[in-house]
Amino acid sequence: MTTLRPTILLFALTVACGGDNSIDPIINDTPFDLAPLGQGVVNDRFTAELWVNGNTAYTTTWGTRTVNNVQARGDAVKIWDVSNAQPVLVDSLIIPGATTLGDVQTTPDGKYLVVATESAGSMVIFDLTNPRKPALVTRFVNTDIANGVHTSEVQSVNGRVYAFLCIDPRGSEKARLVIMDITDPASPSMVFSQIMGTPFVHDVFVRDGILMAALWNEGIAIFDIGGGGHGGSVSAPVRLGALITVGGKAHNIFWYRDPSTGSKRYAFVGEEGPGSVPTSSVGDVHVVDVSDMTNPHEVAFFNLPGAGVHNFSADEDRGVLYAAFYNGGVRGLNIRGDLGECASNQQAPDGRCDLAKMNRDVAKGPAGVSPVFVWGVHYTGGKLYASDMLNGLWRLSSIP
Amino acid sequence: MQLRASAALFSLVAALTASKATAQDEHAGHDMSTDSTAGGPIVTAGASGILLGTVVKPGINNRTLAEGYLTQPMVMAMLMTPRRRFVAQLTLNFEGSTLDRGELNAGVHGEGYVDRRHPHTLVHELVATGNFTFREVRMSLTAGKGFVPFGTDDPMSRPFVKYPVNHHLAQILERGLITAAIAAGPLMLETATFNGDEPEDPYDLPNWDRFGDSWSARLTARAGEIEIQGSAARVESPEFAQGGGLDHRKLSLSARFESKGSYALTEWARTREGEGNTTAFTFNSALVEGSVAVGRFTIGARAERTERPEEERALNAFRTPRPHSDLGIIGITRWNVLTMNVGAALPSYRKIRTSTFMEISSQKPVATASPAVFIPHEFYGKSRLWSFSLGARLGAGMKHSRMGRYGAGA
Repeated sequence: MTTLRPTILLFALTVACGGDNSIDPIINDTPFDLAPLGQGVVNDRFTAELWVNGNTAYTTTWGTRTVNNVQARGDAVKIWDVSNAQPVLVDSLIIPGATTLGDVQTTPDGKYLVVATESAGSMVIFDLTNPRKPALVTRFVNTDIANGVHTSEVQSVNGRVYAFLCIDPRGSEKARLVIMDITDPASPSMVFSQIMGTPFVHDVFVRDGILMAALWNEGIAIFDIGGGGHGGSVSAPVRLGALITVGGKAHNIFWYRDPSTGSKRYAFVGEEGPGSVPTSSVGDVHVVDVSDMTNPHEVAFFNLPGAGVHNFSADEDRGVLYAAFYNGGVRGLNIRGDLGECASNQQAPDGRCDLAKMNRDVAKGPAGVSPVFVWGVHYTGGKLYASDMLNGLWRLSSIP
Repeated sequence: MQLRASAALFSLVAALTASKATAQDEHAGHDMSTDSTAGGPIVTAGASGILLGTVVKPGINNRTLAEGYLTQPMVMAMLMTPRRRFVAQLTLNFEGSTLDRGELNAGVHGEGYVDRRHPHTLVHELVATGNFTFREVRMSLTAGKGFVPFGTDDPMSRPFVKYPVNHHLAQILERGLITAAIAAGPLMLETATFNGDEPEDPYDLPNWDRFGDSWSARLTARAGEIEIQGSAARVESPEFAQGGGLDHRKLSLSARFESKGSYALTEWARTREGEGNTTAFTFNSALVEGSVAVGRFTIGARAERTERPEEERALNAFRTPRPHSDLGIIGITRWNVLTMNVGAALPSYRKIRTSTFMEISSQKPVATASPAVFIPHEFYGKSRLWSFSLGARLGAGMKHSRMGRYGAGA
């Protein structure tokens, strides 16, 4: 009795307080198939970024595609009706002078669409009063962004709306992060501009007043921009911590908030190694424990043999991170629970947990389609979409 | 601008002195092969250039393009002390002024240009060499900006006006360097350390903060008129001048023959791009070329098979953003190229050497993997491309007969 009573008490406390493992994670020995439910074919240009806003999806285009001696630049935003499983192309925007559209996203209220352009850098804002007929509000250019806007992240911070622009290096001019206040979309104002990244600042993730920046060979850096309690603001970020993830080449970040526990322990970093579009790619998903933002440390990784990771989107309620893996399609990773604890046979020689060996690889797709070169994914409203450079826009089934 | 002005002033002086150059007018591999017997330092100078018209069919998108240039305009000068103890060499290249948009040259790529050869930098070469002899062993130390001891002679000093596709696989030039060379009997060994970054524009100088991040070594054996070389190099982040790009590990093997108006070269080169011991991409090249003089005429032929990386192109389809996005490429294209050149020496006018030439080249590019972003026959509009060139070479004073070797390595 004397030994059983403390055990019962400990068990009761554990159940009462919950924890990262309080909801059973999705575990499946064989990944579920993400079946293609519909395809919006694009074969005149290469498809790149993706954003879905309600029943309308926007895909960007990339580089130059030549079909029957007709060269088409990556200067188009395709607008899709995704009310049904089969995406239907309803219109296109052509952005003059662009060779690639670096990013596309709506503002959090869904009223505006922000598009980034390369190789002539600019930020273009459209009014979405009619989401299927975006109306140009402004096209912003200045010397800080003229080298090319590789990505743009649109987020609210303390009631104002900002676009976080990652600017390409060009010649002897280094990469930089530029933050634009677009609360008034007709009059964007630059509130921050700083050289950042080696050689790129490729992407950022913003949530709850924290900015995480993917700085390529410098790894990631974490800044307080108004929510970290260190006096930082959007115009004067305060650096909290940094980490060079294994292999560097930090390309993009997703910081997971588990709604079942409120935990925000893990950030997922995509590594983009040198690949050849559209046949090869390389790079792992790196799991970084950011519970102490002054001391982030990598605890796990996921490697998909023969393919490299690109953009992320998550079904946070179910704890699934969907990751575009270029020629490897889309993978779904179970990211709920403790990712930094694993058996010794699930560890890499350096001690990091291998999510593949932990059976965290729970979904793959688009099933039955080859070849693919999936650039991005977007999970929203219970639906999963993927942008495929070769084939256009996919609507995929999600995990049952 | 200061650099441009200084160079222009210097070139004017050099050009004026060119016609008064001494009898030593052969600038052989940047090492004057003729021993100086004069009592004091000797200064020689020269100037050269090519008036060129080129038609490519198709150039791009099934369009025929025709252009004219003053290509390879150069002014050269050399200062040499008795017995060549000290040699200083300068070559100014004015392609930044005459070839800003690049020269039509299907297959060639590098320094932000594609299917056009990039202009070289104004200060093409500015080196000083100290030569030493210990018994039968010759040694030299060279410092400055110039040719890295790697691979074969610069295409500028070879019989063809159009560059081979493998230029960036088979030569390393316009770097800040220190080269040590030692020669004994038929063997020469050169080693160098230099900055890995490639020039970013015609008026760019080496990033001196990167000096020493790269190295090369070349072993050459000569027997009579035959020369064999093998070389290796590790070049750090050549395409990302700020650093952080992929490193290049390079190999080159070649055999060269030259005698009494006949010339032949066969070479193989490989560049592996990657990080550390990891290889991301490999590019191979094989080339055979030769020429023979028949009276006033010189007939040359070249066959080449070279792989090149494809990168996303800028709004100007002959340019690529530098550095390109991320570390990726959009495919590899294998170029099969056949070139014929016929030249004829013309009578000199005063001390200006002149010759005329016609060059025809046929290229067949093929993507090495499928599916491909860059599909050559779609992009160019034909599966086989043609290039026709007609031109005249002009020169006065000393001339480059070989480029890329200094001191005991020459």
